[in-house]
Amino acid sequence: MTTTRTQIETLDPAASSLTLSLDVGLYPREALYAAAYVFIDRAYLLLDRQDTRFVVHFRTKHPVDETVLRAMAGEFENELLAQALRHQVTDANQRIIEEVVAIAIAGAAGDPDGTAGAALEGAPLVALDDPDDGFVADPNGIARPWEPGKQGTE
Amino acid sequence: MSTADGATVRFHRSLYLEEAIAEAAETFAGLATFAVRSDGDHWVVDLSGIARDVDGDVVAEFCNFALANSARRRRGAHA
Repeated sequence: MTTTRTQIETLDPAASSLTLSLDVGLYPREALYAAAYVFIDRAYLLLDRQDTRFVVHFRTKHPVDETVLRAMAGEFENELLAQALRHQVTDANQRIIEEVVAIAIAGAAGDPDGTAGAALEGAPLVALDDPDDGFVADPNGIARPWEPGKQGTE
Repeated sequence: MSTADGATVRFHRSLYLEEAIAEAAETFAGLATFAVRSDGDHWVVDLSGIARDVDGDVVAEFCNFALANSARRRRGAHA
């Protein structure tokens, strides 16, 4: 019978280890990496693939009982789901994210329309020798530390 | 699979990058000797001369490093 859901293949409390398998069609590889990375400080992980399933060999760094092992398996599945959704959202909004970042960078370079990007390439973002530049003049004292010991002499 | 001072680990090629494995092997070079070879769908790493007088599991930590390096490199390539 073909199984599509994530399942515990083996569980060995004596060795604090378990093996999970999951359908490759349900979770992108990036989600598997990200979920595994979350556990890397608590467990030793080895990923594998058998036909249409990813296999995750999991062994905790410190001895745990069966209850904790099962809880970690559940936590791993939740993390997989969260990472898969995150991956999907990022993919769906990739162009928007790139455009927002491009506009923000162009705005910081004094070109809110993003039309003069090529001309400004390599130019400094702040003209340090221009006293009218808000970053240097600081007429409202925004850049001045408020702590008494750090106010300096200015 | 492991012996007294050796072990063999199989990394699936679709999940682990050869450069990531090599980078992990370099990190652990002082704790074991590594030989990487290709075998079908897997990279096979033969570890020998594993240091036993260290705190922690050298083979398992090496696997974690190979995984983390693969994830980081794949994400870097994707971005």
